[in-house]
Amino acid sequence: MSKEKPFPEYRRKLGPGWWLSNRHFTQYMIREWTSFFVAVFSLIYIYELSLFASGAKADALNLLKSPGIIAFNVLALLFTSYHALTWFYLIGKIQPIKMGRTTSKPWQALLVNIVLLLIISYAVIEILVLR
Amino acid sequence: MPQVARLHAILWGVFSMGGFIAAFLLPVLIYLVGIAYPLGLWPVSGTDPTTLILDHHHLGTLFLFVTVAGSLYHGIFRFQSTLTEIGLARAKRALEAIGYLIIIIGILATAVYLLQYNPSFFSLP
Repeated sequence: MSKEKPFPEYRRKLGPGWWLSNRHFTQYMIREWTSFFVAVFSLIYIYELSLFASGAKADALNLLKSPGIIAFNVLALLFTSYHALTWFYLIGKIQPIKMGRTTSKPWQALLVNIVLLLIISYAVIEILVLR
Repeated sequence: MPQVARLHAILWGVFSMGGFIAAFLLPVLIYLVGIAYPLGLWPVSGTDPTTLILDHHHLGTLFLFVTVAGSLYHGIFRFQSTLTEIGLARAKRALEAIGYLIIIIGILATAVYLLQYNPSFFSLP
C-alpha cells in the first residue's frame, strides 16, 4: 500500500519567536526551558560525583563554592521550583479525582503536592543530612 | 500495539516518572549541595552534604542515583524537544540521537561513580 497521502498537508510555518506572541505560549516556553536547568544541574552534579569517586573531593567542593556555580544553582532552584509547581497543577488538571458528587480542582492538587514536597524535602534533610 | 508505538509509550512513561523525581527530589538536592553548603545555610554545618548523604550507604546512594538519573532523563528529553520548537525541527533526529546518547552515558556514569565511592553497595546492610 502506498504511503502517499491522498491530500497535501499544509503546515503553518512558525518562526523561532512564535512563543512571544501570546502570554500562554510564553508561559509554556518558560516551563519548557526549566528542563535546561534540570539537565545542566544533573550534568554538573555527575561531574562532581566523578571528582568524589576519584578522590578529588577538595576540587569538587571548590567548584561548588565558585560564584558562577552558586548563581547558576540559585537560578536552577527557581526554575526547578517553577517546574514542580506547574507539574503539580497539571496533575490536578489531567487527573482530577472524583469524590461523590464533587471533583477535585487543579489548585487542590497543587496545594496537596506542595505539602507533600515540603514533607519529602524535610524527610531527606532529617534522614540523610542531620542524622 | 505496534512495537514503535510501545517503545514511544515507554519512553514517555519514563519521562513522566523523571518529571515526578525532578519535582519532588531535585529541589532539595539543589538547595543542599548548590546553595546551603557554599553559603553556609541551614542545615549544613561543616561537612558537605554529598559526603553526608553518601555516608548513609544504601539509602543515600539510592537517593542520589534516582534523583540524578531521573532528572537527567527528564531534563534532556524535554530540552531536545524544546529545541525543535524554536526552529530546530529539521534537526529532530540528530537532536534525539545526541539526547539519548547523553542520557545513556550520564546514567551509566552516575552508577559507576556511585559504585566507585561505595563499592559494597550490593552487599546486605
